[in-house]
Amino acid sequence: MKSSLPKHVRKGVGAYLFLLPHLFFFALFVAAPLIYGMIMSFHDWRLLGEPRFLGLENFVRVWKDSRFWDTVKNTVIFAVISVPTTVALGIMLALILNQKMYGKLWPLVAFVSPAFFGSIGILFSWDWILGSQPAALANYYLQKIGLINDPMSWFKSATLAWTWIIIITAWWIVGFSVLLYIGALQRIPPEQYEAAKIDGAGPWKRFVNVTLPWIRNVMFFDVARHVLLAFGLFDQVYILTAGGPAGSTRTMVYYLYLVGFERQQLGRAAAISWYIFMIVIIFGLIQLALLTQSVRSAEVE
Amino acid sequence: MNHKKKIRRSTIRKIIYSVVVWLIGILWFVPIFWMLTTSLKPTTTAITENPPRWIPNPITFDNYKAVAKAAGGINVGRSVWNSLVVAVVATIAGLLVSIPAAYALARLKFPGQKIIFWSYVAILAFPSVLFLVPNFFIINRLHLMNTFSALILPGLGGTFGVFMLRQYMLGIPRELEEAAVIDGCSRFRILTNIIVPLIRPALVTLGIMTFLGSWNSFLWPLIVLTSSSKFTLPIALVRFSAGWGDPYRGIGPSMAAAFISVAPVLIIFVVFHRYLMRGVSLSSIGK
Repeated sequence: MKSSLPKHVRKGVGAYLFLLPHLFFFALFVAAPLIYGMIMSFHDWRLLGEPRFLGLENFVRVWKDSRFWDTVKNTVIFAVISVPTTVALGIMLALILNQKMYGKLWPLVAFVSPAFFGSIGILFSWDWILGSQPAALANYYLQKIGLINDPMSWFKSATLAWTWIIIITAWWIVGFSVLLYIGALQRIPPEQYEAAKIDGAGPWKRFVNVTLPWIRNVMFFDVARHVLLAFGLFDQVYILTAGGPAGSTRTMVYYLYLVGFERQQLGRAAAISWYIFMIVIIFGLIQLALLTQSVRSAEVE
Repeated sequence: MNHKKKIRRSTIRKIIYSVVVWLIGILWFVPIFWMLTTSLKPTTTAITENPPRWIPNPITFDNYKAVAKAAGGINVGRSVWNSLVVAVVATIAGLLVSIPAAYALARLKFPGQKIIFWSYVAILAFPSVLFLVPNFFIINRLHLMNTFSALILPGLGGTFGVFMLRQYMLGIPRELEEAAVIDGCSRFRILTNIIVPLIRPALVTLGIMTFLGSWNSFLWPLIVLTSSSKFTLPIALVRFSAGWGDPYRGIGPSMAAAFISVAPVLIIFVVFHRYLMRGVSLSSIGK
């Protein structure tokens, strides 16, 4: 039996045995959902009852749904502000941590560990800090340093709510980027900085000419990661604002959650997720193109 | 003399720099400190005291006691256990399926290898929300709704771990295995006896990341869990604090529960931050 099969076939079968356990779950929960998601989006699909074929109706209805496009606008604006902010903050903190100092463990814990905390715990804490009562932490200290005159309700206006969501998100997730950049910074040979110093390059010039080229690839990866994260924005909105005030902080995923799981319209939710997919791709490509260009031109200077 | 002065001046500079960075760190960590402080106060004082007090007086552990038993229909203590069980099983199962798959992709040759590898990589760039709706339906179809399996199984198809372990295995010199091949060792033995001990750091890294991912997971359990006895900690946390009606009426116990969700992660971070750093770097290589 064994010898009747050619050797490379036997080897191939053996290799598949190693792959099979993972491939099984990959097929069931990654590949099949992609196909299923496609099929569902063409149907009126609910948990109970027979699905009804609709053709493109789900896509058309979502396309014409102004509430959906509002959530797209909200999410894109969030991404446009939050992605560069977080990336820049990550590089800055990594540069700070990359200097010689005593007791480095503490700042590492402080800046980086939040990225590994669950969303709910830290969002509860922020929500409590940003309470509207005068003795809530933010109100108390911001009044004390004279930044605000009266106690504020921080999530009552769209602009304020978004500002805090962006700040909290950056605070929460930047740590992962910091680790990325610390790793990249440590690969830079110190002689390059020495040479730049001898050439009379200032700190900014040294950053652009030495640091930036070395961390460029990591930066691309980081940006792509943050774009994905930004378009997946859900937990912050769910806990802090529930989409309010007046739907102004609803995001695409939040909308998908409402349609798919509160109203149980799975077919339409599947269509929404394909829209999200397309928007993420388009946005990711634009971002990378812009970034490539700006990094190149910075290096040419 | 001059030289000594220079050294002393650079030492002073380093001390000042360190202190400044420590202070910024303390400021940065205020949300965690405040969570802990609030959890050690009675709720009534926590809400009313003005100015806010950083060291509770007296310190009370009542909030933690309240959280340990069922309060408002939600048993946070039980949800901690649920989260722990799910995270441990997800981690072990994840490693068990990812290790051989990574080995096959790194070292063996088989038809379709390229296609499988590149689909594994490409899928990493897909937004996870794309899988939410169809997986919800698939889990329902498999009659796994409201089970721990619904939380564990879909994650086993994730490709990040396979990709990461493969990258790590490629860095192992082939000569280490060749002797075993000549001795007639089976591939399985090579994997368990030679490769696995060599990639132990990567396994620790991946294990921690899988554990934390499961421990922190929110949207998926929110969708597939329906009965409170199955709730994981993040879900219990949300339901628990909502159960008080008025947002801050249960702030003491809520902050205690929140701190319980954060504390283990903090410990893991302090102990394993080197591994986490390696994991983060590995995740970006080759992209």
